[in-house]
Amino acid sequence: MVETLSSDALAAEFDCLMARAGITVPPQRRPSILAAYADLRGQIALLHGRYGPEAEPSNVFRAEPAGGR
Amino acid sequence: MDTQDLSIAEMGRMLRAGSVTAETLARNALARIAALDGALHAFVLVTEERALADARRADDELKSGRDRGPLHGIPYALKDIYDTAGIRTTCHSRLRLNVVPKEDSVAAARLREAGGVLLGKLGTHEFALGGPSFDLPFPPPRNPWNPEHVTGGSSSGSGTSIAARMVRMAMGSDTGGSIRGPAAWCGTVGIKPTYGRVSRRGVFPLSWTLDHIGPLSRSVEDSAITLQVLAGHDRQDPASADVPVPDYRADLEKGVAGLRIGIPRAFFATAKATTTEVLAGIDRTAAQLRNAGALVEDIELPDYALFSIAGRVIMLAEAFAIHEADMQTRLLEYGEITAGRFILGAAVTAADLVHALRARRELTDAVNMALSHHDALLTLSALDTAPRFDQPTDTLSLASPIQTMPFNVTGHPAMSVPTGLGGNGLPIGVQIVGRHFDEPMVFRVGRAVEQLSGWESVTLPNG
Repeated sequence: MVETLSSDALAAEFDCLMARAGITVPPQRRPSILAAYADLRGQIALLHGRYGPEAEPSNVFRAEPAGGR
Repeated sequence: MDTQDLSIAEMGRMLRAGSVTAETLARNALARIAALDGALHAFVLVTEERALADARRADDELKSGRDRGPLHGIPYALKDIYDTAGIRTTCHSRLRLNVVPKEDSVAAARLREAGGVLLGKLGTHEFALGGPSFDLPFPPPRNPWNPEHVTGGSSSGSGTSIAARMVRMAMGSDTGGSIRGPAAWCGTVGIKPTYGRVSRRGVFPLSWTLDHIGPLSRSVEDSAITLQVLAGHDRQDPASADVPVPDYRADLEKGVAGLRIGIPRAFFATAKATTTEVLAGIDRTAAQLRNAGALVEDIELPDYALFSIAGRVIMLAEAFAIHEADMQTRLLEYGEITAGRFILGAAVTAADLVHALRARRELTDAVNMALSHHDALLTLSALDTAPRFDQPTDTLSLASPIQTMPFNVTGHPAMSVPTGLGGNGLPIGVQIVGRHFDEPMVFRVGRAVEQLSGWESVTLPNG
């Protein structure tokens, strides 16, 4: 499972991700976006630790021989 | 006679009998738009000149014996994310106010070739995600049942234009429910076809692997007629499926006797936002289907929250990839809601996305399994009626009263059908889901719901 972060750590993580993505978040909008980010991370925790190595993603594809259709 | 209430099939019969002209249909629709749209804001652009030229050509062709099929001479409109040759396509955004495509999207081209009469471009949430917003270049469309209430989005103008009786059919797009949500809240039919059934080429993407395009319409038959024109393989759309297109009207009146219909009740029964009257509405629909001979039973699917977060992670990651450069350099030109939502995509990690794609496989298998025992599923499109514009909401929240994302994640065809009005006079409805490429079954069950619910006798807002 994903570790639960403190609000300070979550904010630092958010700032780091924004810096890495090259996004400048307007200061007046940061509190609402940060709250949404905390909500998102909480929901995403449902996805982590759920699957074993045998569970493949949906974009694993099957190749067909040339002219196979 | 008010031609605005004629079905597409009825308009077609009258056009061929010579009792109405396409120009008359277009002029009547344009007059209704002129009368109502100052208050409802369905359209961001009305293409009157083009509409009348298309209509006159349709009339001339019918007179000379050229019949392009059921949409010949029928007025319609396009969500303003569909490329239209020579006509501005803004995505309801100031970033694209001057974008005039050179070519039609595939859907626009197919509708034009089928003889449809384009009345204009419809309002949307910005880039099919950010809204309803008042900081965009055009105001948000309003709900004709009560203009103080939202339409749902993102195909908001599409829902408004049909419920206000401006057009019988308008095109939308659906990445997490953007056809079925406005359909539910505006009291229209709205179908999200199977992923790959209709070419997305030339429609501005929100999330490539979740995007579907399809019609909103007044009736199930109107949607079936429209999908007949739209469906089919497009080699230049990498998601387009080379699967034969059946006759979508062939089974419409077959009824539901003998069909097995599953209800994933936990999706909505345990949700806090579900209201008692909406819950009573789906139970009433289930009882009507049972009385008509269907076997209707509750089924279990994986937790709704898993469908929801898998879809949102995929959507946010793909949307950010599309908008990355503009988000870095033009962020303040986006509406505040749009920017706030797209920014979250920058915070999705590679592991998050891969886990969401693993969930997608699990969830698709689960729905396929359910549909191996049932002909269709019945669930809610929305947990409540449309909220007011001034109702306090957290615009960036993941919580939504629209329950449509599961079938964007899995690609199954799903249609919202209105079934009645709530105590506040706003529409309620249900969602019908079918096997991949089994839109005929979705239409068949939807047509039965439309008849059994008595929706056809509900009077639409008259402006």
